[in-house]
Amino acid sequence: MAGATAERSELVPDGALGSAISFVIEWFPLVIVTALWELASGWAVAESILPPPSVVLVRTFDMLATGSVLPELLLSVYRVAWGLGLSIAVGVLLGIGMARSDSVENFFEVFLAMLYPIPKTALVPLALLWFGRGTQTAVLIIFLACLLPIILNSYNAARTVDQNLIWSAQMMGTSDRKILWKIVIPDTIPEIVTGIRQAIPIAFIALTGAELIGATDGMGAIIRSAGQLGIYPRMFAAIVLISAMAFIALRGFDRLERRVFVWT
Amino acid sequence: MAKDTLTSIYSLILVLILWELVGRSPIIYYNFLPPLSDILALFWELTASGVMIQQTILTLQRALAGLAIAVALGVPIGALAGRHRLFDWFWSPVIAIGYPVPVISLIPVFMLWFGIGDISKIILVAVGAFWPVALNTRDATRTVDENLVWSARMMGTSDRRLLWRVVMPAAAPGILTGIQIALPISLIVTFIFEMIAGGGGLGHLQIQGFRQFESTQVYAAIIAIMVVGLGLDRLLRSFRDWVLSWE
Repeated sequence: MAGATAERSELVPDGALGSAISFVIEWFPLVIVTALWELASGWAVAESILPPPSVVLVRTFDMLATGSVLPELLLSVYRVAWGLGLSIAVGVLLGIGMARSDSVENFFEVFLAMLYPIPKTALVPLALLWFGRGTQTAVLIIFLACLLPIILNSYNAARTVDQNLIWSAQMMGTSDRKILWKIVIPDTIPEIVTGIRQAIPIAFIALTGAELIGATDGMGAIIRSAGQLGIYPRMFAAIVLISAMAFIALRGFDRLERRVFVWT
Repeated sequence: MAKDTLTSIYSLILVLILWELVGRSPIIYYNFLPPLSDILALFWELTASGVMIQQTILTLQRALAGLAIAVALGVPIGALAGRHRLFDWFWSPVIAIGYPVPVISLIPVFMLWFGIGDISKIILVAVGAFWPVALNTRDATRTVDENLVWSARMMGTSDRRLLWRVVMPAAAPGILTGIQIALPISLIVTFIFEMIAGGGGLGHLQIQGFRQFESTQVYAAIIAIMVVGLGLDRLLRSFRDWVLSWE
């Protein structure tokens, strides 16, 4: 997200070679950090406590290649997809509803004000009380954690929809339902997308918290159980995978956004 | 005014009454949703006996100590990255990779490295809170109006004075935004660490309620968590207004 903003040096030639060179220059610090980690492991810190990146990476690829981790990985993705999907569906509806109708706003505003200061991931024990360990608990936590950014962004967007557009549509006899689908929602989509983007990293924090405490399967549970059993390369590999998932989701979403919203 | 307050909270009152009635009725299993009065009674009991305050202090100490370390490291590193190309080259990819790591996934690692005590918790809070502080400081110091910097330079301001008198005040809103983003992260890391590793605190109090099937304790701890979150958020907002009052 941040690294791509680095300026290109004038010394680098244009074209494919140039972009390859600037890519290497841009990301080279990570090579340094990884090399330091490799050196530190076994020399400054015991290898059992900090496995070197070579071991962790081999383990990561091993877990992927043998497919042993795939069911857990897919389960975690499934939970994020459900939680995030539900929060988008409910959040957009509530956000637009609150922006367009005073009675809806009066009803829900106080609940959002009460939900706002609670770190939603800290509600895992409550979700456990209701649903026990498993997918429902994780989905509920992810849903709650992602809900507010989506509501806030769609609320703000729906507030600023050009009123002239709505009036002219009403004058031509367009039904309220059609106004919602043809004017309000298309006009608020860019902000809804911003809200979803803010929600993605939150979703992965919520997923990790929910699975560390409230699940017996999924990537978070692997991290916990590998840690308890002392299989540290597996624990580190699972952390690499869960971080990679978050990173790929964020980057993938940015790519998709640029493709879909060429017109904005 | 009174009428306005009523229209904005009538729904809450309705839901709370409904909660009490449903909780008292036999249609729902007691531990799923204990009546509100039982929860408030326990909350009051824990507060009066000092337990709640003691646990809150434990949580706050960990979260705020970690946040303070993150600010002490994140602001200078972010400012250097924002003003120096070499630092920027080194730190930007590190921040880009480090920021999306769900920091609570490192809890088992930190238990291995530093144990389950306060030190371990505080360091992990610092790690989690560091990224938003560093990132926002970098972006804020990078976009400081260059005309300001040039005119100060022309008047012979030293680099040190330039940093403290021109760059930092101009970047203060961005830095404070970073701290505001880091605050809930500090709380989340503290609560989840307490749930997994114990050692007291509101997170521990809440999960203990679940483990002993004392659901009133789970709800009472959530009320305390809400109060803490709200209090800190308000505090930070007024701190922001105070610092930026010259604007």
